Amino acid sequence: MIAVENLHFAYDNEPVLRGIDLEVKRGEILAILGPNGCGKSTLLRLLRGVLTPAEGRVLWQGRDAVRLGRKAMARLAAVVPQSMQAPFPYPVREMVAMGRYAHQSGFLGSTSADRKAVEKALAVTDILHLGKRPVTDLSGGELQRVLLARALAQETPVLLLDEATSHLDLDHRLEIAELLVRLNREQGTTVVQVSHDLDLAAETSHRILLLAADGTPTALGSPTEVFTPSNLRQVFRVEVKVESNPYTGAPRAYPVRRGNAWQQKPPRIHLFCGGGSGGELLRRLHLAGGEITVGPLNRGDYDQVLASVFELETALEEPFCPISAATLQTARGLCRQAEALVVAPTVWGPGNLASLELAREALSRRIPVLLVDPSAERDYTGGRAWEMLQAIHAAGGRVVPDTEAVLDLLKDKPWESNDR
Amino acid sequence: MTRRQSLSWLPILVTALFAALLLSLWAGSLSLSLTELFATLCGHPTSPTHAAIVLKIRLPRALLAALVGAALGASGGAFQAVLRNPLADPYILGVSGGAALGAVAALTLGCSSPLLLPAAAFVGACGALFLVYWVAQAHRGSPHTLILSGVMVGSLASALLLFLLWMSPADPVRTAVFWLAGNLNMVDPDWLPWAALWIGCAFVGLWRQSRALDLFTQGEEVAADLGLNVGASRLLLFATAGALTAAAVAMAGLVGFVGLTVPHVVRMIWGPSHRHLLPASALLGAAFLMAADALSRTLLAPAEIPVGVVTALLGAPFFLYLLRKREGGQ
Repeated sequence: MIAVENLHFAYDNEPVLRGIDLEVKRGEILAILGPNGCGKSTLLRLLRGVLTPAEGRVLWQGRDAVRLGRKAMARLAAVVPQSMQAPFPYPVREMVAMGRYAHQSGFLGSTSADRKAVEKALAVTDILHLGKRPVTDLSGGELQRVLLARALAQETPVLLLDEATSHLDLDHRLEIAELLVRLNREQGTTVVQVSHDLDLAAETSHRILLLAADGTPTALGSPTEVFTPSNLRQVFRVEVKVESNPYTGAPRAYPVRRGNAWQQKPPRIHLFCGGGSGGELLRRLHLAGGEITVGPLNRGDYDQVLASVFELETALEEPFCPISAATLQTARGLCRQAEALVVAPTVWGPGNLASLELAREALSRRIPVLLVDPSAERDYTGGRAWEMLQAIHAAGGRVVPDTEAVLDLLKDKPWESNDR
Repeated sequence: MTRRQSLSWLPILVTALFAALLLSLWAGSLSLSLTELFATLCGHPTSPTHAAIVLKIRLPRALLAALVGAALGASGGAFQAVLRNPLADPYILGVSGGAALGAVAALTLGCSSPLLLPAAAFVGACGALFLVYWVAQAHRGSPHTLILSGVMVGSLASALLLFLLWMSPADPVRTAVFWLAGNLNMVDPDWLPWAALWIGCAFVGLWRQSRALDLFTQGEEVAADLGLNVGASRLLLFATAGALTAAAVAMAGLVGFVGLTVPHVVRMIWGPSHRHLLPASALLGAAFLMAADALSRTLLAPAEIPVGVVTALLGAPFFLYLLRKREGGQ
């Protein structure tokens, strides 16, 4: 039905979609899922030829979407937008009748086919009773159903839904999901839906296209194939468990709440960072509820500003000064109270080399030390920092790739096993 | 059932039109009783003076007011839909100013035929319209940018128009007042059929695009999804609404706010659907301008106020009310 070939798109040289290959089959329900800003809605615009791809193309039954002409496209595909402002008070029935534009040729009248399609669309979306109400008086959910009814009145083989059920109450959301499944089964309507609702998409779709935040396609397949913890973790950057809905068998993703990760008392963690290298760690550790201390850090450093916003205890040094003996002593005190040390992927210079000394001391006291993504490329001390990092690693410091892994490891309470 | 209900505007507005016509024939510096008026209209004039004044002076003038009012009312309704902006009006958008400039430029060059003058006004109207649209397009979604650039283009057109008039040998103040304040007493009655032809054709052209206007109110992306070729359709709508404005301005100068108030009133009472809104706005616009003209002739009789002053006195407060209402709603 719709063939998408190596589709690339960019807004002002900012790439939005990279290399989408997709064949929407006649009579299937396909969901496009992904985080905010991953280009889901842009992909839908490219599908219907409103935008021109930077590279690649979209073919509808062999014809290029961009060259198809608006009227021909409107007879093939109807669009249900997320929402709209309604500045003009059209009665609901007239608004739905606008869906017939692509089928009309005369200039004023409407045919019996037009009227039948409109009444049917009003009936199946449960808004027949609103027929004469001006759309400006409707609630968000009612307006959303009017937009769906208008698309149904278009009587097209394909429906494109752009977050079309996000404003609806649970009952109407389920009802519309049912309606889509029924249209698909009975009339063979092809449905492409962009959605935020992972579970409902998994329930109703035959296939799912999962887009990563940078617009690359991550997975394409049946809901069970796509809904794996590793796919969802990669795309949404949260830890999920996937189980199947006991009533329908569809896969369901359950986010694992990090806030509950600390079973009893939150741990006390000291963080070495600077120049913004610790930003994400600070934020995530703070949100996870740990008791965080930081330093040594120069006043005005990006990480210091963040730490002061979170009101974290910090070993402070004046701006642009090397770390003084007194500040180092404060930091040592903080390290002594910590249950674990985390070394952010920061740049190492003569100014902060002393931090690594503190880490080595801590390790000798059997305090666990986590080295986040250590690299020789960030060493500006002529190899001394890299040498120390390697020594810490050799003495039992654990190397971890990212913030996620730090949280994972800390959940297992490494300090307790070390104590024994 | 719905059809009859939705046509309820027709008898009401036709009645209003005839009432305004009678008012316009009756009002003026020469007072006339209603019986005398009806006798004159039925072909049994009570005196030859009455016949001359009513049929040779007041009737053509009333018909001109009706044509101009109809053109402005319908084009205002169209502009509000295409631009999705309830504050749009040919006068506020600077389209009338551009049309007046075009007409005056043609007059300065010495052509004043009833076909060429509206054509020159049309060129000026389109120029102003595309300038305003081009500026406002850079700030999509901001209705006030459109209005602001319209007002500026209108001022620019007025300044250029005054410049042309001051260069010309004719009495500049008198003609300037005609163009800038709007007036219904300068046109040769022989031009009426031509004005009717021009306005009639443009109106039918606009009315045929009622469905496209309905779609434009939904936003351009939605309109395209519903099957409208937005670019071509907008061009055509601008051209026809611009032609209506141009004809009105070429006949009567800058008469403001008719295109703002009339479609609003129609929409409030009978709804926004354009296959009804356009003819209803034309009828109400015609009635409104005939009544305003009658008022302009009687308020300071025997002196006459330019009719544009009367419409602005009625319309500008309405504009402020709309502006205030929109601000409050946001």
